Amino acid sequence: MDGIRIESLTKTYRAGQVRALDGVSLEIAPGEAFGIIGPNGAGKTTLLGCLLGFLRPDSGRVTIAGREPDDLAIRAVTGYLPERPTLDRWMTGLDFLAYYHALARLPPAGRKPEAQAALARVGLDPEAAHRSIRRYSRGMLQRLGLAQALLGRPRYVFLDEPALGVDPAGVVLFRRLLDEVRADGATVVLNSHQLDQVERVCDHVAFVKQGRIEARETLHAGATLARVLRVRGPAGTIGDGVPRAALELAAQRAGAELREVAAPLARFAVPDDAGAVRLVQALVAAGVPVTEVTPDEGRLERLFLEDRPKGGPG
Amino acid sequence: MNLALVLATLRQRFTSPIRIFIVLLFGWMPMLPILLAPSAGFAALGDCYFIALALAAGMIGQDLSSGILQLLLARPVTRAQYVFSRWGAVAAGTFLITVLQTLAAALIMALRGAPVQWDQAALFLANNALLALGTAAVMALLSSLAAGLGDLGLLFLVFISAQVLEKLGMLKSWEWLARGAGELSRGLKPELDLAPFFHGGPVAWFAVVSYLSTVTLCLGLAVMVMNRRELSYASSGN
Repeated sequence: MDGIRIESLTKTYRAGQVRALDGVSLEIAPGEAFGIIGPNGAGKTTLLGCLLGFLRPDSGRVTIAGREPDDLAIRAVTGYLPERPTLDRWMTGLDFLAYYHALARLPPAGRKPEAQAALARVGLDPEAAHRSIRRYSRGMLQRLGLAQALLGRPRYVFLDEPALGVDPAGVVLFRRLLDEVRADGATVVLNSHQLDQVERVCDHVAFVKQGRIEARETLHAGATLARVLRVRGPAGTIGDGVPRAALELAAQRAGAELREVAAPLARFAVPDDAGAVRLVQALVAAGVPVTEVTPDEGRLERLFLEDRPKGGPG
Repeated sequence: MNLALVLATLRQRFTSPIRIFIVLLFGWMPMLPILLAPSAGFAALGDCYFIALALAAGMIGQDLSSGILQLLLARPVTRAQYVFSRWGAVAAGTFLITVLQTLAAALIMALRGAPVQWDQAALFLANNALLALGTAAVMALLSSLAAGLGDLGLLFLVFISAQVLEKLGMLKSWEWLARGAGELSRGLKPELDLAPFFHGGPVAWFAVVSYLSTVTLCLGLAVMVMNRRELSYASSGN
């Protein structure tokens, strides 16, 4: 398999006192965009460190296309952007990309044009190419870091908070670039706290908490996820003219659950996309005037908010 | 060795204002005796030890503390290649300065009417090339152990400790301690005098083996330390 396989990975720090990863197992298919989310200190960066071969697990194994992660053949097709990347500040942007182009063992003939194209690709203007990196802003550093990670069409792309410190236009650009990378068939592993980004980019996501995979979700088109919807009606309807009992009945018919009523809003928990459709139909059928239906929380935010028993899948 | 890494290291070292200042200080200060007494010969230039230290300081440790190493080692570069490239670059940079020093000294001698003894120049360059390789190897080891510019601190600490132990050994008549500490002290500045070879005689085997074993040991240990090192900012809060 050309994908990434993680088997029973355990990693501790401080002579075993801190258990950063606790028996994590995952399979990431080739060409898949996989998100890693979780609260601070959950073990996400440790997991990424093991995937890149920077950290040695206490037990368990990581293979990428059947090889060790620090195998040079894998490194040659890997792109990596760390969180808050430290770049060689004494270089210019163009020099930096040319340097990493050489380190990636890409053909020297294409070095300069490809470095220039990479800069343009992440929206850095030609003037920035010849400017010292120490004069780059946070967002420019992040863009340059991403340009570096995407040099030479990598097959495996590991991104740790790629859009950190990037302006909204940059965030949109990053998303487009990740779509391009995925369309090119690369496997993307994205570690981010920006859940909306993860939701838009990734096919699957793992929720990591206390070193374990607490949940795995499928996000690609057609996938269904339980979530909470906020339904708004005109003033004087929901919570006033429309009684709570009517809302409860509609919810019951749709297989949903009424969570809260606070005029002019009501919050419903639905099991999946089809449940959301059924709920709206049931509300309309019950004569509830609906002006707006919005997710009360992102699909992934739910993972942070739900209490679940320890020792979930993983 | 990785050519891109070697060239980048050289550029990095020669674009640091403080390093350039120190290199100029130790590179051109020895020109003074040549200017005053051109017949003194190339030996008056001293050696390249402090130039090597200026170029070597933080050669690995600064990458460790800044986090650059993660980005670099995500590329198809082995840790051994990384260590050897840094070592080679520092030694090459030091030797380059020594060559310029030698040429400048030769020019001064020629202009002042003193004879330029090219065999002396060759000996000076050969001895300094070996010293540059040796010093860079010691610093590679120390730099792999300490982040930032901690290698200079370690060097100073080992030097002082060796001096104290040597004196203690002599005071207490513990020959083993005095000899061991003396070897440790000399090991911080691995050099090999090729003068006997240049004058048609053999170089002592002990000196050759001692030099080569010091350089090999330092580089081997540096690679070992780097191979065992984990690269992470995760342990301090992921």
